[in-house]
Parts: sequence; structure tokens; C-alpha cells
Amino acid sequence: MQNINKIHNVQNITRIYALSKRNVILRYKSSLVGFFWGFFKPLLYLLIFIMIFSAAFLQSKYFPSINDYIIFISAGLIFWFFFSNVTNQAIGSIVGSSGLIKSLNIPILLYPLSEIVSELFNFLLTLVVFLIVMYWFGISYNLRMLLIIPCTLLFSIFCLGIILFLSSLNVFFRDVGIMWGTIQPAIFYMTPIAYPEGLIPEKYKLIIKCNPVYYFIKLGRSIFYDPVAPPAAQWLHCAIIAVIMYIIGALVFNKLKNQFISTI
Amino acid sequence: MNPEILIKLENVSVSFWQNNLGIHSIKDLVTKRKNPFKNKPILKNISFEVKKGESMGILGRNGSGKSTLLRTIAGLIKPQEGTITVNGSFAPILAIGAGLEMELSGYENISLLLSLYGTARKNVNSIEEIKDFSELSDEVLSMPVKRYSSGMVARLAFSISLANDADILIIDEVLAVGDQGFQAKCMEKIYNIKAEGKTILFVSHFPEDVLKICDTAILLENGCLTHSGSAEEIGTNYKQLF
Repeated sequence: MQNINKIHNVQNITRIYALSKRNVILRYKSSLVGFFWGFFKPLLYLLIFIMIFSAAFLQSKYFPSINDYIIFISAGLIFWFFFSNVTNQAIGSIVGSSGLIKSLNIPILLYPLSEIVSELFNFLLTLVVFLIVMYWFGISYNLRMLLIIPCTLLFSIFCLGIILFLSSLNVFFRDVGIMWGTIQPAIFYMTPIAYPEGLIPEKYKLIIKCNPVYYFIKLGRSIFYDPVAPPAAQWLHCAIIAVIMYIIGALVFNKLKNQFISTI
Repeated sequence: MNPEILIKLENVSVSFWQNNLGIHSIKDLVTKRKNPFKNKPILKNISFEVKKGESMGILGRNGSGKSTLLRTIAGLIKPQEGTITVNGSFAPILAIGAGLEMELSGYENISLLLSLYGTARKNVNSIEEIKDFSELSDEVLSMPVKRYSSGMVARLAFSISLANDADILIIDEVLAVGDQGFQAKCMEKIYNIKAEGKTILFVSHFPEDVLKICDTAILLENGCLTHSGSAEEIGTNYKQLF
């Protein structure tokens, strides 16, 4: 019996790989420079922020030089775009794979999961470009950067929870997908990415702290931006949030999954 | 369970959620506390057995629950009541291209479906085999499936579903679209599969085809199994429906 389970798991890994490959092919099919749009988007944001905010922040105590500000925003942006891309892609993963779901008896969980894998691949390439470009702005390479691996892992578990929650509700109410696109800018500006956290007035700090994405962006950025590794408390916060979000997502998904076929 | 019996359904009932969403359903939900989702029974209390090596035809009008029955047997849909026991593996159900990704090319679809299905035979041979059987050219297989004619889609879908060692083959109206040459070829292939002692579940709207392939058959009417017996008998019953 154990052997059968093992074969099964190996098979699911091949399946996730095949589905992720499909996601990547489908995403860039019939576009000219497909992949480069992935770098272009954060770059555009970066330029906009430099133009708008650098005058305001550079004289302040937060950033000694423009290079610091550039590293600060870029490190936040790569994590934000991981979050934003993965949720936007995956929210329709169940609805979009209706043909396969109706013909093959494989766990439906693999469809949202494969979206995370294909976005991780995207993230890896963005990260490489980020590390190369940031060298000019004075980032120093060190072993501490390996902390990016556990950090991305935690963030992925959190994203999986959100994705399971949103994509299974989206099967029954397409409003969920539309709503998610609408509230994303709000989440973006509620997260200190373009501006330093210290600028938030005391009375609004609670709102920022209620935003779960804030903790992950802060953790990820801190690995590149701060001179020391993020403290244990920060890791703990992220781990707890990731597990809670995953449990919520998995509960909703399991509750609804038997009715997916009848509705998509 | 008797090893000779491959598929056994006992009092299986399946119902779907049917929604009627829209701005009016929010009003109903708020004012009358009416649930926007209704349970609609699709299959009612179905019991039958399929023996190893048997070919069973499934007949019924459009919307009588044939496809749902196949998906339930294949484990895609969990029945609300009753039990299903299956002693074997299934080939994917590719009802006229339902499982094909329209934006991907024929080759990409073949490799995706073979890896998803997880056949041990996922190798160059099975790709060649699919290509040969479908008689689609290299050029066609490199094109996105959305540009295929319905006959070409049926060829690809049927060829992929044949390219594995499953014990149970499910054929859902695939034959209806191919041209005569391909239909004859499929029939021959189905006879071969039958001769190998594999089990076939065959859905069709042509009692003549069912008669050619199947030993036994069942007739579905509005989600109920009304008749079961020899393919000949059920074919006659089916014709009487109209």
C-alpha cells in the first residue's frame, strides 16, 4: 500500500510539472516578447515611484541616497508582483481548466498548485535580473540572501491558501475574480512598498498591521535591504499567517470541490 | 468482491447544484432568505454491474445523464448516495475534445495529456503511435487545436485516449464526427481492444453501433436506469423512445 502511495506522489509531481509548463506556454503564446513583460511591469512601477516620491523622501531621514530608495522599492516590488501575478493567474485556474477537470481523474488541487510553481519559475528569473541590476545600485552579495528560500516558501504557502480560497469561490461566483482585480490597488497602497513604514501616522498603523501581505513583503525586503537578518519574531509572524491562511483555503476548497464539475 | 466484476454501482444518486445567479438572486437571498443554489438530481438510484471483458452500451436521449454517469464511474464526480466499486484503471474520457487545450498545439496536447494521465508508456513511442493512428500530419499537429476541424479534434482525442494501458475504455460519442475511413479504423481498433479482454463503456446515439460493439446495454431516461439487458433489446427500447 505504501508503495502505491509513493508511486502516486511521484506521478503527481510529474503532473504538476506538466501543468506548470502548460501555464507558461499559454501565458506567453502569441506574444512577441512575452517574457519581458514580466520585467517591464516592475520596472515601470520603479520609474514612476522614483519620479513621484524621490523628491519627497530623499531629503528625509529615511533614505540616505537615491540608491537606497531604489533598492528599497525594487525589493518590495518583486515580492509584490509575485503575489499579484500568482493570485491573478490562479484565481481562474479551476474555471479555466474545466475541460481537463471533466476528463481526467487527477486531484483538482494540482491545478491551483501548478500556478504557484509556474509563477515561482517566473519569480526566480526576476530575482536573477534584480540581483544583477541592483549591483549597480550598491547591493552587496552575501550568504544571508539564501534566506530568500524559506521566505519564498512561506509566502508560497500563504499564496496557496489565498488561491484555494479565491479560486474555489470563483467557480460559483465570478464576482470573486472581478472583485480581486478591483481591491488589489488598495492592498498595494496599504502595504509599505513605495513609501517607508515610518511615514504612516500612528492612528493608521493598525490598518497596515491587519494586512497580511505586509508581513511577507517586509520579511522579503528586509533580506536585501536591512544590514542584519530579519529577527525570529518576523519569521514567526509569517509562518503563523501562512499556516492559518492555508487552513482557511483548504477548508473552503474541500467543502466545495465535489460541486466544481457541476458548475464549471 | 468477485474479481470478475470490474465495475459495480449500488443505488448511486448524483445531484448537482444549480444556480440562478444575478441581481435578483441577491434580492431573494436578502428578502426571502432563499438559497441561490438548488440541488438538482441528475442520476437517481442507479445500480448495475459490468464484468471484466464485457462491453456495455449506454443509450439515452440528450440530457438523460449519460455523460454524468460516465464521469461518476470514472471517479470524477462523487455520488451523494450509493457506492461505486471499480477494479481497474480508466482511460481519460475525451468526449469530442473536451479535455484538449484549444490554444495548445496537437503535440503539446499529446505530451500534456500523457504526463497528466501518468502512463508508464509516456515516451517517444506513444507519441508516434498517437500520430500514426490519428493520421494527422506533422504540420497539423504543430498547429493550435483551435484551428482544427471537428473531425480532426475527434481524431486526436480518440487517438490519445487509446494510447494507454487502461483496463477500462470509455468512449463518449467520439465516433460521430470522424469521416468514414476513420470511423472504420476506430471500429477495428475497438474490436481489437475487446479481443484483448478489456472492458468498454460505449455511449452512442446509434443503436446499430452499440449492437456492433456491445454485448449488453442500459437505457437511461431522465437520470433513471429504465432498462438493462442485451444490446439488441435495449436498442429496440431506445428506438421506441422517439
